Amino acid sequence: MSYAYLFKYIIIGDTGVGKSCLLLQFTDKRFQPVHDLTIGVEFGARMITIDGKQIKLQIWDTAGQEAFRSITRSYYRGAAGALLVYDITRRDTFNHLTTWLEDARQHSNSNMVIMLIGNKSDLESRREVKKEEGEAFAREHGLIFMETSAKTAANVEEAFINTAKEIYEKIQEGVFDINNEANGIKIGPQHSPTNTSLPLSGSGSSQGGGCC
Amino acid sequence: MDFLKSGWKSVVGSQDGQSQPSVAETIEKLIERVQTSTLLEDRRDACRALKSLSRTYRLEVGAQGMETLINVLETDKNDSEIISYVLDTLNSIISGPIEDPIDYIEGSPNEKSEDLGQQFTEIFAKRKENVSLLIDLLEEFDFKVRWPALRLLMGLLRNKLRDLQERILANPMGISRLMDLLSDSREIIRNDAIILFVHLTRGNSNIQKIVAFENAFDKLFEIIAGEGYSDGGVVVEDCLIVFQNLLKNNTSNQNFFKEGSYIQRLLPFIDITNDTQWPTQKSTNVLFLLQVIRTLVSPRNPLQVTNSCQKVMHQCGVLEKLCAILLTSGVPAEILTETISTVAEVIRGNHHNQEYFSNVTAPSNPPKSVIVILLMSMVNEKQPFDLRCAVLYCFQCFLHKNEFGQAQIIQTLLPNSTDASGLTGQLLCGGLFSADPFSSWLAATALSHALVDNETQKEQLLRVQLSTDSNIGPVSLLQQCCTMLQQSAKLQTRIGLLMLLCHWLSNCSFAVTNFLNIPTNIPYLTSQAGLAESDDLEIVVQGLCAFVLGLCVHFNDDSIPSFTREDLCNLIIKRIGVETFLDKISSISKSEKYSLASQRPQLRYSRVDDVVFDYEFCRLFKSLEGAIIKAVQNKPDLTNGPESNMSAEQHRLLVQYKEVIRDQDQQLTSLRSELEKLRENFEKVNAELKEQSDTCQQLRDQNALLKAQKSSSSLPSMMSDEANISRIQDLKRENESLTKQVRNLQIELARYKSSSPPVPETKINIGDDEEDDSSSVNSVKKLSEEIEALKSELEKEREAKLAISAELDTATKEQEELLDLLSDQQLKATKYRKRLKELGEKLDDDGFDDDDEDIEATENLNELLNK
Repeated sequence: MSYAYLFKYIIIGDTGVGKSCLLLQFTDKRFQPVHDLTIGVEFGARMITIDGKQIKLQIWDTAGQEAFRSITRSYYRGAAGALLVYDITRRDTFNHLTTWLEDARQHSNSNMVIMLIGNKSDLESRREVKKEEGEAFAREHGLIFMETSAKTAANVEEAFINTAKEIYEKIQEGVFDINNEANGIKIGPQHSPTNTSLPLSGSGSSQGGGCC
Repeated sequence: MDFLKSGWKSVVGSQDGQSQPSVAETIEKLIERVQTSTLLEDRRDACRALKSLSRTYRLEVGAQGMETLINVLETDKNDSEIISYVLDTLNSIISGPIEDPIDYIEGSPNEKSEDLGQQFTEIFAKRKENVSLLIDLLEEFDFKVRWPALRLLMGLLRNKLRDLQERILANPMGISRLMDLLSDSREIIRNDAIILFVHLTRGNSNIQKIVAFENAFDKLFEIIAGEGYSDGGVVVEDCLIVFQNLLKNNTSNQNFFKEGSYIQRLLPFIDITNDTQWPTQKSTNVLFLLQVIRTLVSPRNPLQVTNSCQKVMHQCGVLEKLCAILLTSGVPAEILTETISTVAEVIRGNHHNQEYFSNVTAPSNPPKSVIVILLMSMVNEKQPFDLRCAVLYCFQCFLHKNEFGQAQIIQTLLPNSTDASGLTGQLLCGGLFSADPFSSWLAATALSHALVDNETQKEQLLRVQLSTDSNIGPVSLLQQCCTMLQQSAKLQTRIGLLMLLCHWLSNCSFAVTNFLNIPTNIPYLTSQAGLAESDDLEIVVQGLCAFVLGLCVHFNDDSIPSFTREDLCNLIIKRIGVETFLDKISSISKSEKYSLASQRPQLRYSRVDDVVFDYEFCRLFKSLEGAIIKAVQNKPDLTNGPESNMSAEQHRLLVQYKEVIRDQDQQLTSLRSELEKLRENFEKVNAELKEQSDTCQQLRDQNALLKAQKSSSSLPSMMSDEANISRIQDLKRENESLTKQVRNLQIELARYKSSSPPVPETKINIGDDEEDDSSSVNSVKKLSEEIEALKSELEKEREAKLAISAELDTATKEQEELLDLLSDQQLKATKYRKRLKELGEKLDDDGFDDDDEDIEATENLNELLNK
């Protein structure tokens, strides 16, 4: 169960866009067709491998309903990655992205990696938002973009893993301060002793300095 | 007071010669000064005075000054001194005067003071900005500000938990800021912050989740480790209470705790087997720790969560460590009891853990299994009541959904069991027939758990023989139980035995038959069920007797002539009366003890005398009550039928006929049902067949379709399959015709090549392209394009050729015409010459002239040709 890094994610977006289903598909590899309203926040976890390193993802799936918005805000600051989800068959969920993004930018740390996800790509016949529109929005706001289907599992793995890759790269570049757990990143138990030893942490901080 | 007075004077000014101002006036003046004074020092002094006053005149200062004071927090937030005074004042208003911090936590303020605090809290929390203001103040590092701000928040939380929780939740940074306090290097702030979290996390799952998200488990574990785990002080206890709050009934956090590998981090905590000293605080800490473990595997959690936590606890050694505590001497009884209950829940319903548990042995000689050791304590009167109950719970959890374990236990009672394993059986039997009623209740209940939902073991248990008296020879266990039941005067013993019988007889006709074969049983039950005593517990016994009787009816296979289902029903009607019987049965569920026991698997009795029912019995009763009521009321009109006035002979005959009819009826119904079953089966099979043939057809169609698709090109399928096929066929046709064209053109080309100069473009290898045609539409297209080009070039060539040949034709024609003309001329010339000769003209240069004319004609011709 040991891991090199632990990343905290949050999943945000309007109600009914399939946030919980994405999580369920990712952690349990199954799909639940009945919409079971998330109350507050639910937790899920899974181990992935990037660059030969074990990375533990802890994911907080938030409630999309307006009533829970203030609760959701408490999770932004401590997350390293966010999956911002809309429903390609519902234009309004796409229109609300700006609000979500503003909220996220306001309450999160500036390095948080945001992945924009157009979910329900299996419902091509009911599509209301073109893929190009999603791509354009992502480009404009500096997000990564993907269309997924929690039902068929298309791109679900990729969405979570690509987000982790982006965070991992940022760590390699020294953008994240990995010793500050408030960033939503934790170093694994077997790695922490080496990290607290002087030479390594020294090089880590000089890396950070070089970046600035 | 002198100090106070001088304080007022310095602030309000001395008022010599006038009467002393009333307190209200003084406070009013001070507040006015705080509001209006432009000098910070003035405001500061006024606040200081208010702080002193608030200790004695809490109501007055609060009622008049609350708003002003809150304003100061906003306007003067850069001056830590004035903020500190204001916070102290507010603390007095909200929580009453505090002399000693201990008071603050454990003190029991009187009702009036509490009421006042709640009212002021309500006023304070009305504006959500006020709470945010306080949270912002927590960022100030200055002890004078941070600490009172923290205490004020705590006071508010204590007074109005729900309101404050909502206010703090509404602030996105709120919990995060509070979490930072846990890292404060000043212990007093850190420890108070832990207590703040004890309040904050109570009963609000949203806050619990955010707190967990903010790494509370990590931080608290660090604090616990820093304090020395169970040897730590009250701080460890507080941390564990926060743990418990975060995990209780919170599936998300339970998952998080498990996934975050925090269960493993509990290990050093449980490693207490070498400890000999048990100070009170240490015991308390360990007790809380055990309760934290239990929240993760509680029977009330979703099965999935409990199961996965149980698995982790086995894998990482928590279970092992807990079992080690069970075998350690010198552990306080309180802790031992809680450990037994914890082990119980860690193994409950989890086969692996149950198996592990059953194999744990004490290092004695010969090694005794932990089960034996626990049972010894259970049937030992000298052991504490709670401990004995805990052992029963553990035993119950060990056998919960554990057929193998049940068989194992029953096996120890059977004659062929070995000495070592027979110990369990001996202990249970010894307990069952002990003089101590509670021991026998416990043993009977324990034994009944080995029978729950397990018909095989019910039959096995019937084989058990006891040798009570060497003179009489062996007696069956069932016989002995019944004898005990009828002879004992002790209520608890009888209740225990009756519950055991209920489990034993339910769903097991063989056991019922055995039971009915003991002649004294039915008279005993009917007499008990028919009693009309008013004592609470006697009524319960009567109810249980009625229930056992009901089981004898319901699970009766009519194999004992005098006690068939019908006989027993008649007996109930005649001896007890159906109404009374039903009353007795319902008296069980009406009992207070019943509702208490049915709430949760673990016994929650505080005294020996309270113990009546156990959880598994309540479950059994619930599931069978309806069926028994129905079984007993089966034939309500039997006594009024025509048979009541028949002679014995007639009756015998009637019974005989009835039997025959019943047999036939039974046969008929069984045949009918068989027929029905067969018909259903037939229909089902038919339907299946149809379905299968349908699917077969479908599959065949699909197969054909797929074959067609496969053989065709891998064109991106934007259109339907049929369209695809037709399109492919079109393409094929096109292709064929194109190939044909190509061939034709080739032939033509060859023909023209021989007659006309070679065209460089025609050198493409047509043959090769032709091969690719069949596989790729693209190459077909390319080819057809090439062909097109080729064609057009050929066309050009052909046209040129045609033009040339046309010219040639015209030239030849003209030449012929000219030749004709020439020959005409020659003819004419010869004719004229002849005529000239005839006319006598002399022609000298006959030949020469002729030649001249010839040359002239040739020249003409040449001219014509050149044109």
